[in-house]
Amino acid sequence: MTLEFFVSSGQWVFFVYFVGINLGYLAQNVIASYGIRKYLQTADQFEAEAVFSSLDIPVSVIVPAYNESTSIITSVRAMLQLEYPDYELIVVNDGSSDDTLEKLVREFGMRPFPEAYRDRVESKPVRGIYRSTRHANLRVIDKENGGSKADAINAGVNACRFPLVCVVDADSILQPDSLRRVVRPFLEDPTTVAVGGTVRIANGCTVRQGFLEKVGLPGNFLALVQVVEYLRAFLFGRMGWSPINALLIISGAFGVFHKETLIEVGGYNPAAVGEDMELILRLHRVMKEKRRPYRITFVPDPVCWTDAPENLADLKGQRVRWQHGLGQALMLNRGLIGNPRGGTVSWLAIPFYMIFELFGPIIEVAGYFFILLCGYMGWLAWPEALIFLALAIGLGVLLSTSAIMLEELSFHMYPRTRDLLLMYSIAIVENFGFRQLTALWRLQGLIRWLSGKEHKWQTITRSASVVDQA
Amino acid sequence: MLDWLLRSSFNPLTTVAVWSIAAVLVATIVLFAYTLGLRVATITSRRRRTNLVLRWRDVFASAVMSARNAGKVALPPLRKAHRTDVLEEWNRIRDSVQGEAADNLIVLGERMGLVDVARRRLARRALKSQVLAVQTLGHLRDRDRYDAIAALLPHPNLALSITAAVALVDIDADRAVGVLVPMIEERRDWPRNRVSMFLRMAGSERISEPMYRAIRAADDETRVYLLQFARLIEPEVLDALLNELIRTTNDAGVLSAALKMVSGLSTVPRIAALTRHSTWFVRMHAAQVLGQLGQREHLSLLEAMLDDPEWWVRYRAAQAITALPFMGPNNLRRMYERQTDRYAADMLRQACAEVGLA
Repeated sequence: MTLEFFVSSGQWVFFVYFVGINLGYLAQNVIASYGIRKYLQTADQFEAEAVFSSLDIPVSVIVPAYNESTSIITSVRAMLQLEYPDYELIVVNDGSSDDTLEKLVREFGMRPFPEAYRDRVESKPVRGIYRSTRHANLRVIDKENGGSKADAINAGVNACRFPLVCVVDADSILQPDSLRRVVRPFLEDPTTVAVGGTVRIANGCTVRQGFLEKVGLPGNFLALVQVVEYLRAFLFGRMGWSPINALLIISGAFGVFHKETLIEVGGYNPAAVGEDMELILRLHRVMKEKRRPYRITFVPDPVCWTDAPENLADLKGQRVRWQHGLGQALMLNRGLIGNPRGGTVSWLAIPFYMIFELFGPIIEVAGYFFILLCGYMGWLAWPEALIFLALAIGLGVLLSTSAIMLEELSFHMYPRTRDLLLMYSIAIVENFGFRQLTALWRLQGLIRWLSGKEHKWQTITRSASVVDQA
Repeated sequence: MLDWLLRSSFNPLTTVAVWSIAAVLVATIVLFAYTLGLRVATITSRRRRTNLVLRWRDVFASAVMSARNAGKVALPPLRKAHRTDVLEEWNRIRDSVQGEAADNLIVLGERMGLVDVARRRLARRALKSQVLAVQTLGHLRDRDRYDAIAALLPHPNLALSITAAVALVDIDADRAVGVLVPMIEERRDWPRNRVSMFLRMAGSERISEPMYRAIRAADDETRVYLLQFARLIEPEVLDALLNELIRTTNDAGVLSAALKMVSGLSTVPRIAALTRHSTWFVRMHAAQVLGQLGQREHLSLLEAMLDDPEWWVRYRAAQAITALPFMGPNNLRRMYERQTDRYAADMLRQACAEVGLA
C-alpha cells in the first residue's frame, strides 16, 4: 500500500511539474515572440539613424577584473571603440595576483592620478587610481581584493561620473553599437532603472584588434550547447519576462543601471554569490517598498559576446555558482515573495523561479532516479515511460527550435546555413546527457546554498576566442 | 504499426501525451521548415536586392548630378515585386542629399511613379508599408497628402507617428511647425534625437517663436522637457528666454536646464545667487556657467564652492577654476595651499591633475 502510494504520488508530482514548466516556457515564448516583433517594428525605423545626438545620456562603463591578464587588453581596446558620443571606461583591478594591472599600465599609458574618490557604496579600500595618457576617458581603479565581483563593481560605481552605469565582464566584448541600443529605454521611459542586453557566446568567433571580426560556432561541444542554451535564455527567457516588468535577472556580463538608483539601493551586494540577480531582485523590492513607478527592461539586440567554459570542471563550477546565487538572492529578497503589492514579480516570476528554477533540480534529479528505480524493480510500464520521455525531449527540442527561429527572424547573427543546421542538431543532442548533468550540478548548487557554504571568485580557463588573434 | 501506441488500455493521460508528441513533432517540423525557408528567402532576397540596388543606384546618382539627367535618364522597368527595395533605396539617397540634388531626385521620383505607389501604400493597413509610404511622400513633398499624414501624428505606433512628423516638415515646414511644436510635449515617446532632427530641419527662424511661447506657457516639468530642444532656437530668442526663466523661476529642474545653456553675461547677478541654491545640481550648473564666463570677480564664489558638501559641485567648481584664463600654475598652487578643507584641497588637486598641472 505504502509503496503503491509512493509510486503513484511520485508520478503525479513529476507530471504536474512537467506540465507546469512547459506551459511556463511556452507562455514566455509567446510573450517573447510578440515582444520581439514589436521591438523590431520600431528598431527598424531607427536603425539607419547612426548620427549621434547630444541628447544621449553619458555612460560610465565599469569593467571589474580579477586575474584577467589574458583578455583584458582585448576587452578594453574593444570598449574604447564603442560607438557612443560620451562615455568613460573604468577598469577595476580587484587586487589581481597576475599582471592585469601592469599590462593595462603598459598598454594604455596609465599614470597615477590624484582623484577625489568618494565612498558612496561599500567596497574594499582603493590603492590607487590611474588615468590613461592616451585615452582621456579611460581610468583604472586599483583596489584591495574584496573576494567578489560585486565589491569591485562598487568601487567602480564610486568612481564613475555619469548618470548611467554599464557593467561589463572583463572577458566580454561589446558590439560597437551595443551601448547606443541598450541606453534607448532610458531615453524612452524616464522611470527605467535597469536595462539588460543579450549575451552571446564568443567561443568560435574571431576577434581582431578588439573587434569581433567573424561570428561562428565553436568546435567544442560544451560551448556549442551553451550557444543554444543562451539563445533560449535570452531570446525567450528574458524577453518573456520583460514586457510584464517581471525580469528577475540582468546578466552580470552586460547591464546598464541608473546610477543614483543603484546607489540608493546600496550598490551590489559583496556577500551575494549571484550578485547580478540579487541586485535586480533588490531593485524590485526597494522600488515596490517605496511605491515608486519603475521599469526593468531587456533589449534583445545590443549584444555582448562572452567566453563560455569549455571543460566540465569550469562549467560545473559556473552552474553550481548560479544555482547557489539564485537561492541566496531569493532568500535575501524574500520580502517579495507573496507581497500583495508585488504584482507580476511576486505573483508570477518569483513563484516560477522558486518552483522550476530553484527547486526544479530536486524534482528533475529525483525523477531520473525514480525512473531508474522503477525500471530496476520492474514497476515501469515501458511504453508509457517512453512516451513521456519522448514528449519531454520533444518539448525541449521545440523550445530550442523556437529560440533559433526567433534568432533567424530577428537578429540573424549566424550567417552560415551550416551553423543553423548545427544548432538544430545540438537542440536534439543536448537532451541526452547534458541536461541531466546540468540538473545534477544545479542540485549540488542548491545543496551548497542550503548548507550555507561560501563562494569565492572563480577563474575559468579561457578559450582562445576573446584573446586577440592579431 | 502504431496500434500499440493508441491501444485502448492506455490511460487518458498517456493518450493525451501521445497526441501531444504528435503536436510537438508537427510544430517542431513546421518551425524548422519555416526557419530554413526564412534563411533561403533572406539569402535570395539579399542577392536580388543587391543586384537591383546596383542597377538603380546608377540611375539615382545620375539624377542627383543634374536636373537634365533627372528628367531624361533611362529608367529600368520597375516591377511590382521590386518596389519596396527601390523605394527604400530612393529614400535612403534622398535622405542624404539636400538642395538642388534633392529637387532632382524628386523629379526622378515623380517620373518613376513613386507618388502613386506611395499613395496606394499609405491607404494600406500594414504598418511597415505605411511608414515607407509616409517617408516617401514626405521626401516627394506631396502637398496633397499633407492632411492625411498629419492625421497619423497621434498614431500609437511610434515609428509611424514620428515618420509622419518628419514628413510634414519636409512637405511644408511653415505649416508643420504650428502643429508639431505643441505636440512635442504630448508625444514624450518621440525619440528626442528625432525631435531635434525635425526641429533642425524646420530651421531656427521658424521654430524660435513657437518654442519660446510653448516654453513660457508650460508648467515647470514640461519646461524642463522642452528646454532640451531650446538650443535649436535663435540665439537672441534663447538669451531672452533664459534670462526670463532664471530671473523668475525657483524650480531646480528649470534652473538647472536653463543654466546649462547660458552663455551671456546678462544673467550674472542671479547666477551668483544660485551658487548658494538649496539644490546641488543648480549649484553645480551655476559653477559651470561662472567658469564659462571666466570673470575675475567670480573667483571667490568658485573658491567658496570647493568645500560644497556635494562632490559634483566641488568638481565643477574646481574645473571652472583651473579653466579660468588668468589662473596660472602659481595662482592655482597658492589657492591649493590656502585650502583648509581636505575635500576642497583634494578636488582642486584632481582638477589640476586633469589639466596636467598636478
